[in-house]
Amino acid sequence: MKCEEVRTMLPLFLYGELSFDDEERLEVHVDECAACRDALARHKAMFTSLDAAEILPTQDQLDDCRTELRQRLAHVQPEHASFWDKIREGFSVHFHFAPGLMQPIGAVAMLVLGFVAARMTPGSLLGSFHAASVAEPVTSRVRYVEPVSQGRVQIVVDETRQRVLSGSVDDQSIQRLLLTAAKDPSDAGLRVESVDLLKNQPQSAEVRRALLYAVQHDANAGVRLKALDGLKDFADDPETRQVLTQVLLKDNNPGVRTQVIDLLIQHHSNAMVSVLQELMMKEDNDYIRMRCQKALHEMNASVESY
Amino acid sequence: MDEPELIRAAQRGDQRAFEQLVRLYDQNVLRLALNLLRSPEDANDIYQEAFLRVYKNLHTFRFDCSFHTWLYRIVTNLCLDALRKRRVRREENTVVETSEGFLDRMDTVEEARAHGDPQRQLLSRQLQVRIRQVLGELTPRERAVFEMRHYQGLRLRTIGDMLGTSEEAAKNCLFRATQKMRAALGDFV
Repeated sequence: MKCEEVRTMLPLFLYGELSFDDEERLEVHVDECAACRDALARHKAMFTSLDAAEILPTQDQLDDCRTELRQRLAHVQPEHASFWDKIREGFSVHFHFAPGLMQPIGAVAMLVLGFVAARMTPGSLLGSFHAASVAEPVTSRVRYVEPVSQGRVQIVVDETRQRVLSGSVDDQSIQRLLLTAAKDPSDAGLRVESVDLLKNQPQSAEVRRALLYAVQHDANAGVRLKALDGLKDFADDPETRQVLTQVLLKDNNPGVRTQVIDLLIQHHSNAMVSVLQELMMKEDNDYIRMRCQKALHEMNASVESY
Repeated sequence: MDEPELIRAAQRGDQRAFEQLVRLYDQNVLRLALNLLRSPEDANDIYQEAFLRVYKNLHTFRFDCSFHTWLYRIVTNLCLDALRKRRVRREENTVVETSEGFLDRMDTVEEARAHGDPQRQLLSRQLQVRIRQVLGELTPRERAVFEMRHYQGLRLRTIGDMLGTSEEAAKNCLFRATQKMRAALGDFV
């Protein structure tokens, strides 16, 4: 190995990014060459100087960033996987075509797939399929399998079929479906959409109960915020205020707590003063503390309870 | 919960899981942004924008690569964009020349750390200024590769993945960056 080659490799050597063989050759050369040993020492000194030039964020900076992020997240909805995302997710191989080409290529691929499948599927199979009267199930699950006799088998299948329903949001049957969807534990996106539609119908006692339930129990802050939005015209209703008070003292999301304060302080009361004072004792969010202080000040109340 | 469980919970909308996920990486994200941009305000902006993007797009994360690589790809792209914009605005350097000599706007940031690091105290002010100048003269990609290798200790292969390039290209960037620094700091070390 020549000195010139060694000099170019010194930084990568110090970063541990040389191959085993190159590292070995470099070390052998440096052992024997005083000039390269000197060059290596200078590189090490430079690295030490660079180490000392690193900036580390202070804990205060990090805390400020975290607080700001928490506040901003309270007003942002995560996007959910679209139908096409879910389909694409099903394929383990990812192609990297230009985005504009993806749809035509996908369309052609599906046409080809359909054509080949139709040509390859034996007619007898299709025949038995129709004979079994399985009418276009969307999803199915084999619930029970039992051998009957002489190679025959009886299978019990759960089927889920899709139906498309449309109608006005204040239609009773549509509203019932929306109320069910608003509690679907498996899909936060569905709950957000459902509550968003229901929140415009809070005059219905059933809808208001669903909104109060969502505010108290939904795991997703986005759903809770939508539900709160629907309750804004009922901020003076005693039952609503009671639920909102509990949410204010228990909810872990600062955005939700902020919105609850906004609703509650629309109507001043002595009960409200003690709730805000209690919150002041445990609240760690600066913005919410400031809102509380301002509200207590407007109600001529002290910030602390005695 | 381990990391994949946290990611899946956050993808289902679990706010606490997302917050825990943020806390696994956010110190290093802020550190990278701070060292690349050398401005606390800009570093905060990158921090916010990066984690907001992660939050909005977490459903698209399909475990094809590590979450760390995915996150850093977002962070480095944001930092590179910010550095390129700065170049256009000719605001690359935090070192400014005044009637009293060279002053660095980052001095206030580093003050807190200097007390706890004896080695740092030994460095001459001139050398610090020169290091910042030369970092400012690197191209955004050279700067990103150098910061990630030198300060974050990431392997070149990982850096290549994060920057959407090959290990070889990352190695070339690092080589050019160290050459430039060697040339600029030769009188000092």
